[in-house]
Amino acid sequence: MKWGKMNIKIELKNIFLSYDHTVIFEDFSMQLDDNKFYTLLGPSGCGKTTILNLIAGFIKPDAGQILIDGIDVTNIEPNKRLVNTVFQDYALFPHLNVYDNVAFSLSLQKISKIEKKKRVMDALNFVNLGEYIYRDIAELSGGQKQRVAIARAIINQPKVLLLDEPLSALDLKLRTEMQYELKKLQKELAITFVFVTHDQEEALGMSDYIYVLNNGQVMQKGNPIDIYDEPKNRFVADFIGESNIISAKYLGDYQVKINNDIYKCVDGNFNQGTLVDVVIRPEDLKIVTHKTKLKVQIITRLFKGMHYEIVGQDISGEKWLIHSIKNVMPGEEVFLDFDPEDIHLMSTNV
Amino acid sequence: MFKDFKKYAIIYYLWIIIFVVLPILLIFIQSFLDMNHHFNLINYKTFFSSTYLKMTFNSIIYALLITLICLMLAFPTAYLILKTKYKKILLILLILPSWINLLLKTYAFMGLLATKGFLNNILVLLNLNPVQFLFTIKGFLIVSIYIFIPFMILPIYNSIEQIPENLIKAAQDLGANKWQIIKKIIIPLSKNGINAGIQVVFIPSLSIFMITRLIAGNQIITLGTAIEEHFLVTGNWGMGAAIGSILIISLFLSIFIVQYPRKKFLRKKNVDIPSVGGANV
Amino acid sequence: MFKKISRNLFLTMMFIFLYFPIFYLIIYSFNSGDTMVSFDGFSLKWYRELLHNKDILIIILNTVIVALISALIASIIGTLGAIAIYQTKNKQKQNILYSLNSVLIISPDVIIGISFLLLFTVFAIPFGFMSVCLAHIAFSIPVVVIMILPKLNQLNGNIIYAAKDLGASEYQVFSRILLPLIKPGLIIGFFTAFTYSLDDFAVTFFVTGNGFTTLAVNIYSSARIGISLEINALSTIIFVITFVMAILYYIFEIRGGKSKYVKNN
Repeated sequence: MKWGKMNIKIELKNIFLSYDHTVIFEDFSMQLDDNKFYTLLGPSGCGKTTILNLIAGFIKPDAGQILIDGIDVTNIEPNKRLVNTVFQDYALFPHLNVYDNVAFSLSLQKISKIEKKKRVMDALNFVNLGEYIYRDIAELSGGQKQRVAIARAIINQPKVLLLDEPLSALDLKLRTEMQYELKKLQKELAITFVFVTHDQEEALGMSDYIYVLNNGQVMQKGNPIDIYDEPKNRFVADFIGESNIISAKYLGDYQVKINNDIYKCVDGNFNQGTLVDVVIRPEDLKIVTHKTKLKVQIITRLFKGMHYEIVGQDISGEKWLIHSIKNVMPGEEVFLDFDPEDIHLMSTNV
Repeated sequence: MFKDFKKYAIIYYLWIIIFVVLPILLIFIQSFLDMNHHFNLINYKTFFSSTYLKMTFNSIIYALLITLICLMLAFPTAYLILKTKYKKILLILLILPSWINLLLKTYAFMGLLATKGFLNNILVLLNLNPVQFLFTIKGFLIVSIYIFIPFMILPIYNSIEQIPENLIKAAQDLGANKWQIIKKIIIPLSKNGINAGIQVVFIPSLSIFMITRLIAGNQIITLGTAIEEHFLVTGNWGMGAAIGSILIISLFLSIFIVQYPRKKFLRKKNVDIPSVGGANV
Repeated sequence: MFKKISRNLFLTMMFIFLYFPIFYLIIYSFNSGDTMVSFDGFSLKWYRELLHNKDILIIILNTVIVALISALIASIIGTLGAIAIYQTKNKQKQNILYSLNSVLIISPDVIIGISFLLLFTVFAIPFGFMSVCLAHIAFSIPVVVIMILPKLNQLNGNIIYAAKDLGASEYQVFSRILLPLIKPGLIIGFFTAFTYSLDDFAVTFFVTGNGFTTLAVNIYSSARIGISLEINALSTIIFVITFVMAILYYIFEIRGGKSKYVKNN
């Protein structure tokens, strides 16, 4: 192993991949460290599942290298890789019961019955499914199937666990529950998880590190807080949470011109006169009684439980999404205020 | 759901009574009649004599052999076709010969297998001794397998095709190699297709009389040949009907035995039982 | 690479096995000689003779007419039967109906043949065109039923209530809702019944008479006396028609279906 690469678990190097004459990845690279919870986040078709398939070995790149633990596995078959997958629809074997599903990979090796049973029980207890050992797969609920799929994938002590939208088939309550469990599981197993989702809430809640992907390219990588607070571009801002994205011009000296009004801001890494995109999160917009530079007329108002989701339109025609606990009526005219640190500037190109 | 409709559905119920229930009853009744139309058990007594039991045993052995060879050829064929890029067109082409009237195909084999026919000409060219194919068991087996194999390929192909790609991937992910995937995933999950294939090959090969007559001469007597012989040659309808009755009863018993656990299994899994198409021979 | 070669080798062998007898027939249809044993030279004389052989032409016509009539009537009764099974609410009754429907599909042809022979004898139905037609209709009905039934089971029961709710009469529900939905199954059912009839030998063999004969029965009865190579010429024509139909089916159903699918996505 090379110096300085000790804790890099997975490395994708200059991957080129095309399918049916469509280029999916052009010189794609990424490094994933040991014992971290990674999320690949993006819309469908962004290439996130393809990355899992590359790591698992179901797809071979046209060019480039895949390294696991510093060892080149590019041409190694999936059944020889120390990586296991939790599939989107669980992919449990319908002709085998819970025990035999979990024991599947052990039954391919020469392992004594006693040892096998012990390891299956350990894995099932790990996912709190000890009593379901001889159940038929068809008798399980979605959440239980999910746990069987996880038990089956971790029984061989993989170095990396790949999770392909594993929560998408569950209902909302169960999904939230499983998020906590997956996070806990990753800490206990102390291995790298690579979790694929298109759900930004899941990504923000569980991950140590997020890759936001679009069209086979990394749009932004970082920890959840940075990604939420400091989106690098319009795509990330739009994809992560709801936000108001407005074209603006940076005037230099921490001043930005939005809709002919000049505001103070805290971002300053732009040249004077640069056109920028401005992000203001809806929860940062405050409806105030005093006069401000921004007056909007309320168009719609939707009760969301915790707050109202309000859309207002300013004189220039720009629409503003506001989250507020104030109850305002459609047609009403109100003033909006926000703090300089709530204005986030992004460059317009990518 | 429909009230007026019930009037028309009567035609279908009449069909069931006249063409399904009644004919079977007639076979059973006929089986108790001797040559002089007297009601007795003589036909069954004759059947359970050694000649008929031996014939039945042979017929079952041949049918098993045909079914087994068909399965051993059809499974890899179905599996390998699914691995190619052109699976749909290849499947159609494989099934296509079954659309040609089977008498025509049997007729072709009469030329191919003749003493001075094509196959023997090739053997002679290769400096081998010619082989008697026609009027032998060899010829009977070759033609039967040829006729039945498409009916075995189709259900197996369909059931393998229905196995979700993810299950194969999951097995691979968990360390299974190609053979282990076939043994532990594909064969168990295509069991319904294999069962259906066995059913549509085994039953007709027990009862076919056309191939035995044309290809095997009188070397092989299957249950079907015996029935035909009694109805159309010796005129002993009662004996033919008795053999028929025994065939019907054992078929329905075997289908019940094969399907009962399957239905139970499927009920649990909420899977539809695939409909069984028949080899129309 | 090696695996791919052995795979293709195996499939090629299967194709040779399945097609060789058919091509053998076809090649000898161009034989100027009289037998399927030695090829004496190329000639179209068997095609010419086939076209002038009234006996064979009548047999072909018989075969096709029986197939058309039986497929048509079986499709009608089969549709009624499928709906009858579908709308039977009692599960047990439904299972019994379904099992009775399957009897003729599972039964060996010899059994169907002798049972119909007994039936027609009891009812004194003359053996010939009539008995053959009745027999073919009878064994085709269950095939149509099992082709249509899955389509009915797939459809959402509320569709029928919705149609009634919107004012459709029973007949309108049938003609405007059910019929269009089961049409694919009905078409496949019709063609399956048609080919079953064309292909049938054993049942026809038992119930025909009075000089009425179909192609399969005719070949069987003349096989031992010796068959004229006109039959090879006929086989070639049948094969070409079947082949063209299969290719058309592939182009319209499978490739056409695929492109539709892609568009929808």
